[in-house]
Order: sequence, then C-alpha cells, then structure tokens
Amino acid sequence: MPHCLPEQLALAALKEPLPADDAAHLASCADCRSEVRSLQRAVDVVAVPEFATPAAPVQPPASVWAGIAAATGVSAAPRAETHAVAAPSPVTARPTAPVAPPPAPPGSPAGGQVLPFRSRRPKLLLVAAAAVAGAVVGAGAVGLVRGGDDVEPVAAVALDALTDEPTSGRAEVVVRGDGTRALRVVLDAPDLDDEYYELWVIEPGVVDMVPLGVVRPGTQTFELPTGLDLGEFPIVDVSVEPLDGDPTHSGVSVARGVLES
Amino acid sequence: MTGLLARPSHLGSVPGVTSDPVPAPRGVLDPDDAEVDRRFAAGDEQALALAYERWAGQVHGMAVRAFGPGPDAEDVTQQTFISAWTGRARYRPDQGPLPAWLTGVCRHKIADTWAKRDRQRREAEAAVSEAEAAPSRGSSPGVDTAVADRMLVLDELERLGQPQRGIIELAFFADLTHAQIAERTGIPLGTVKSHIRRTLERLRTRLEVDGAALPA
Repeated sequence: MPHCLPEQLALAALKEPLPADDAAHLASCADCRSEVRSLQRAVDVVAVPEFATPAAPVQPPASVWAGIAAATGVSAAPRAETHAVAAPSPVTARPTAPVAPPPAPPGSPAGGQVLPFRSRRPKLLLVAAAAVAGAVVGAGAVGLVRGGDDVEPVAAVALDALTDEPTSGRAEVVVRGDGTRALRVVLDAPDLDDEYYELWVIEPGVVDMVPLGVVRPGTQTFELPTGLDLGEFPIVDVSVEPLDGDPTHSGVSVARGVLES
Repeated sequence: MTGLLARPSHLGSVPGVTSDPVPAPRGVLDPDDAEVDRRFAAGDEQALALAYERWAGQVHGMAVRAFGPGPDAEDVTQQTFISAWTGRARYRPDQGPLPAWLTGVCRHKIADTWAKRDRQRREAEAAVSEAEAAPSRGSSPGVDTAVADRMLVLDELERLGQPQRGIIELAFFADLTHAQIAERTGIPLGTVKSHIRRTLERLRTRLEVDGAALPA
C-alpha cells in the first residue's frame, strides 16, 4: 500500500489508533515511522500529567493574593470567601470592644472557615488542626515556636507582612483543659518608638473587630472572650497604634492571617 | 482604582480610603465570565480580582498537582496571575476564555520552575565535579532536553491563532481524539485533522531550529 497520509501520521504521533491498513503499513514502513517519531517529539514533551486539564481545584492561601496585589499594585480585592481574606480598610472599622457576638448555633459550620470549638470530637479537631498547621508551615510561615503551654493548638495561621516592614508571625488557637481558649501569638517585628502593636480579630467584611490587646515582638498568649466565634472573626490582625489615646484601629495593619480549616 | 463596576452602596461612605482594597461587589452586579474576560483585557483592576475569585482555585489546583501544596505551588499561582495581568495585552477575549488562557500561563510557570530546578541541578553537579578536581571542560552536565523542549513547545503554542491553538490543546491536554475534538468544537473532522497536522509540523520545525540537538 502507499504511504500513510500526512494527517494519519500526525494522529499516530498523538497516539490515536489508526485504521487497520494504515496501522499495518506503519508497522512495515521505516519512512512513515520516522515521520511519526519526528512529529512526536513535541507531543511527548508536553504529554505530562501535570499539564492535563482540568485539575482538581484548590483554593490558594490568602498570602497568594497579597503577593499579586503587591506586585501589580491593584487595589481591588477578591471577595472574602475566595480565600477567606478580604482586606478593606480597617480605617472604616469601629471596634466593638470585647463584647462577644452571639455564639454560633451548636454544630454550625461557621462558614466552613474555622474549626468549631468545644467539639465533642476533639481528636478529629486535632487532626484537622494538624493539617492546617502543616499547610501554614508549608506556606513559608515563620518557624514554629511552641510556648511552654503543653496544649495543642486547634487552629493555626501564619501572619504575613502587609507592608515592606519585615513583620510576620504566627497565631495559634489553643483550648485549655477547662475549655477556655486563648490565642498564642508569635510576632517577629521591629521594635517601635512612640507606637505599639495591637492584636485584633476581625470579621471578613472588616467592619467589626475585637481588640485582644497590646502585643510585643516575641511570644505572648491572649485570652479569647468566652463565646467569641472565630468563625465570624477569622482575620488575625496586627496593627501599629500611635500613643494617641484613640482606642479604634489605626488603619495601619502590618501583619495578617486568616484562620481557616 | 479605575474599576468600571459600580461600587456597592454600603461602601459609598468609606472616607478617603481609595488606596485600600475594596471587595468585589456581590449579587446582581456580578458580571458574567465573558464580561470579566473583556474587562481583564481592557485592564480593569476589578476584573483581576474577579478572575482570581473565579479561577484561582483551578490554577492553584494545577500548581499543587505539579509541586504539592506549599511555597512552590503558591509561587506558581501567584506568578501566573501576575504575568497574566502584566501581559494582558497578549490576551484576546475573542480568541478564547480567560481561564483557558490562565491555564496556559500556568503551564509556562510550571515549566519555568522545572527549568530552574534543572539549572540548579546542573550547577550543583558542576560544583561537585569541580570540587572533585575533574576539570573536564567539555563534559559539563547536560541540559535536560525535555525541559528545554517543553518551554519551546509552550512558547510556540502561545503564538498559534485560533482555532489551531484550541484544537491542539484539546489533543495535548484534554486527551481528546480528533473525532472528539470535531464534535466538541463543531469544526469539521477533515479541518481538525489538517490543523493538527500543520500544528505538529510547526512545532517540529520550532524544535529543530531552536531545540536542543537530539542524540544521534
């Protein structure tokens, strides 16, 4: 039989099965096989599973968008649920003082972002928390510093710098034996003159927030108000506050992370 | 901020915070995908945020599949969106949907990362052989041919017009047969076949001209 048509050889290079007579010819014709091989070089180098579409979607951590925004200077932001961070201006926020918002109904998934606390299945929580911690460390978080507390964190998040200052850290939610909760914070930040760092938890809309107190570089533990639903206030935020007696957020956030499950 | 989108009214009262990020509006103001594509190409910043909202999961899923969860994958995803935004002049909404284009950019970034690792590997090997006092200048560790060829193929794919590019991408990355491609795209079978043939010839030429020499 005559040589295979060029189109058939191209399909052969894509490893499509050919009609029987084409296949038979190809098997016996060195010229046609050589043609297929030469076309196949391009096919083979991109025929890797990593390039196949579609891949199972995975939501990137909030730091990915932060990097994009920083590099492009774009001021728009994806809405919160994309990666559970929205970062509108804390300037607009009014602190709600440590008054706890209504607790979520029992068993409520809290928007699926934060692990429920006081679960009846603490083992499961720890597994999930370990996964969170693993993801956070994998995300280039600062070195994990475990304080003297021997309680395991149930959730943890890296605090990523929001400015050019080398400010970063880590926040861990711990549940003590008596059921009380605390936020353990490791802050790696330059010392300040005439200003101080303050720790907040903020809701995704960045309107309501709860101040947790003054934080110094190093490791500190902050009491979490009983009934405070971290599902509603998942953003852990470190601000720089002037010594001006104004209890509201200065609007200058230097590090932030979002607690998520 | 030059967004074409109307701001939701509850943000209208925000005083003097124009440099701060504004979340995308919700609900009825949501533009459809084609509108996002068009605005992205036009340089509307809100469209970058919307594109990220809709397709970051897809892009990151690909990056995570290639590198596992962690800094490498996050870097690929980040670089994909940064490159797509800064290179948006190359994106033509009439040539295909934005997520498909983002996927193409993501493949480039994955291939870039592989190439970088290959370079580091060679440098490390060169350092080792130098340390072992084997100064055989001519036998420096070789470039991984597939890594270099892959970059060329991806680059050439980006130069293809439609429908050639869409057809070959379905063949390469969605593993469709030419008959399935014809069915999916509505392009006649014979046309699909001749496009595939011509595209593979074009890629072969590119590799022959610019590619690493194959061992004889």
